[in-house]
Amino acid sequence: MTNVLTRALPAVPRRGRPSRSLIIGAGLVVSLLSVALSVVVGTAGIGLGDVFHTIAIHLFGVPSTDSFRRTEVIVTELRLPRALLAFLAGAALSVSGVVMQGLLRNPLVSPYTLGLSPAASFGAALAIMLSNKAGNTPSSLVTILSALGFSLVVSLIVLGVASMKRMKAVTLLLVGMAFFQLFEALTSATQFFADENTLAEIVHWTFGSVNDATWHQVLVVSVLLAVTLPYLFARAKALNAIAFAGDDAAASLGVNVSRTRLVLIVVVVVLTAVVVSFTGVIGFVGLVGPHIARLVVGSDHRYLLPFGAIAGGLLILYADVVGRAVLSPVVIPVGIVVALIGAPLFINLVLSKGTLAQS
Amino acid sequence: MTLSVEGVAFSYSRSRAVLHDVNLTVRRGEFVGLLGPNGSGKSTLTKLLARVNRLRTGSISFEDRQLGRLRMSEHAKVVAYVPQSGEPTFQLSVRESVLLGRTPYFGMRPRRADWEVVDAAIEHMGLTDMASRSVGDLSGGQAQRVLVARAVAQEPEILLLDEPTSALDLRYQVETLRHVRDLTRGRNLVSLIAIHDLNLAARFCDKVAILQGGRIVAFGRPNEVYDRELLEEVYGLEVDLFERDGAVQVHPVIEARPGTAPHGHAPLPASALT
Repeated sequence: MTNVLTRALPAVPRRGRPSRSLIIGAGLVVSLLSVALSVVVGTAGIGLGDVFHTIAIHLFGVPSTDSFRRTEVIVTELRLPRALLAFLAGAALSVSGVVMQGLLRNPLVSPYTLGLSPAASFGAALAIMLSNKAGNTPSSLVTILSALGFSLVVSLIVLGVASMKRMKAVTLLLVGMAFFQLFEALTSATQFFADENTLAEIVHWTFGSVNDATWHQVLVVSVLLAVTLPYLFARAKALNAIAFAGDDAAASLGVNVSRTRLVLIVVVVVLTAVVVSFTGVIGFVGLVGPHIARLVVGSDHRYLLPFGAIAGGLLILYADVVGRAVLSPVVIPVGIVVALIGAPLFINLVLSKGTLAQS
Repeated sequence: MTLSVEGVAFSYSRSRAVLHDVNLTVRRGEFVGLLGPNGSGKSTLTKLLARVNRLRTGSISFEDRQLGRLRMSEHAKVVAYVPQSGEPTFQLSVRESVLLGRTPYFGMRPRRADWEVVDAAIEHMGLTDMASRSVGDLSGGQAQRVLVARAVAQEPEILLLDEPTSALDLRYQVETLRHVRDLTRGRNLVSLIAIHDLNLAARFCDKVAILQGGRIVAFGRPNEVYDRELLEEVYGLEVDLFERDGAVQVHPVIEARPGTAPHGHAPLPASALT
């Protein structure tokens, strides 16, 4: 049977189109400009010139003035970390989606499919609830560690169970789906038993938001991406073999399939858990980001990984811009906007090639 | 100059032994068919040779090299494995698919020499006209040829095929086997194919090994090995043997339905099988 989703995706850029390296370079430039543009959007009346002026003050020591101080604070303390966290979180989640889809050879999976995000979500919700019950404000470190701990435990159980069945892709998928349901239910349970204040906090958090972005969070995600992305790019060839040739043929092509899968899943777990613990649940980007990237640069992971990061980053960045602009001054959480933009976009991707009839 | 399999045994679990004391010697330029009913161990043996499954008992050597001791990337330069063609999950062009065969040879980016090998493999398999097409848009036979081209691009000395013709219609089965036979002879390879069709194996393979319950019960030229009593015991089915153009052919004896001729189908023309 023809696969509906993949039939909608092109193989490689056709002749006459720009090279994929050029597209990725252009994507990076667009990303930088988009981050700058997103800082402008809001009620404070900040212009693009103000953004570059602020950057010049902090990077090149250009002198500031008292009248500019308020603008400078809004840019550096609110808008810029928010824009950067949005972009970096989107990049991390999208790259995680690219890796998971390749490893499981399934275009419908994302970090959610292995139950990673729901587990991280429950871990964070539990940390918030327990901290509030103890009369403390939950620290970000405790929330991160709790999110990371639960998603690591889930991934270890998933991999353990899957390895008993010789780690077949379908086994991973089925076990992951079971954990998805389990942790969705557990997160609902924490909401059910939480008091009013904690409930509001957990619910707000489960929407997925970059409202409270800090430079500390930007730094953590930046360092994480700086470490993991080069490694993932270096494993792109192995990922190609697993994704396109299958486990058995990939092994015969010289790839240590079990080890590659284990290490890549650990990388994805860490990326997902850290991002989810900062931003809450932003689910759709891990699914849609890779598909948008595949549409532009094809399926080769040597190009798909970098462009997937760019696509996911831009998706969340612009979702946040839309969330701030539509009902200004009310800010719609980015998780809601991503789902509202992502779902129709995804359906359009599937249907645009008119391939349903072929399936 | 041989592939030598000695005392190989394998089990997926303690209670499920799949291969017992398998011994096999295949010379360069020989195309060997692994035959046997489902569960007889032919695919498992192929996967052990391809290092998909890990060898724990016995030895597999090729020209005095223990294949299990080679690094995986070195092993991949000696042994290529062709699985059964399936629906691709992600779209990839023919050229990119064949490039996967160069995985053991390049780092991050393929070199010009890799692309030259890829294009030569594509040409060899008659796929040049469709090199930029997506594999998902090809017919089953063409997609299977892409997998063989990928193995050719791997520049192996041993070519393994695991039931590559199971999902193909008769024409593509014949076409695939003809390509593999020609490759084996042209490049002086050792080729082994796990296959169900006794008649195609008899027509294209130089030798066949018949497996039953994880053991090789017969090995040699098809004309010598195909024995009515042996095949009936292995497959649990009454068969007839006859010869056509020098190749032994096997026919299951099936009770004719009332009102139909006992041999209502026409045999393949000999020209289709050479």
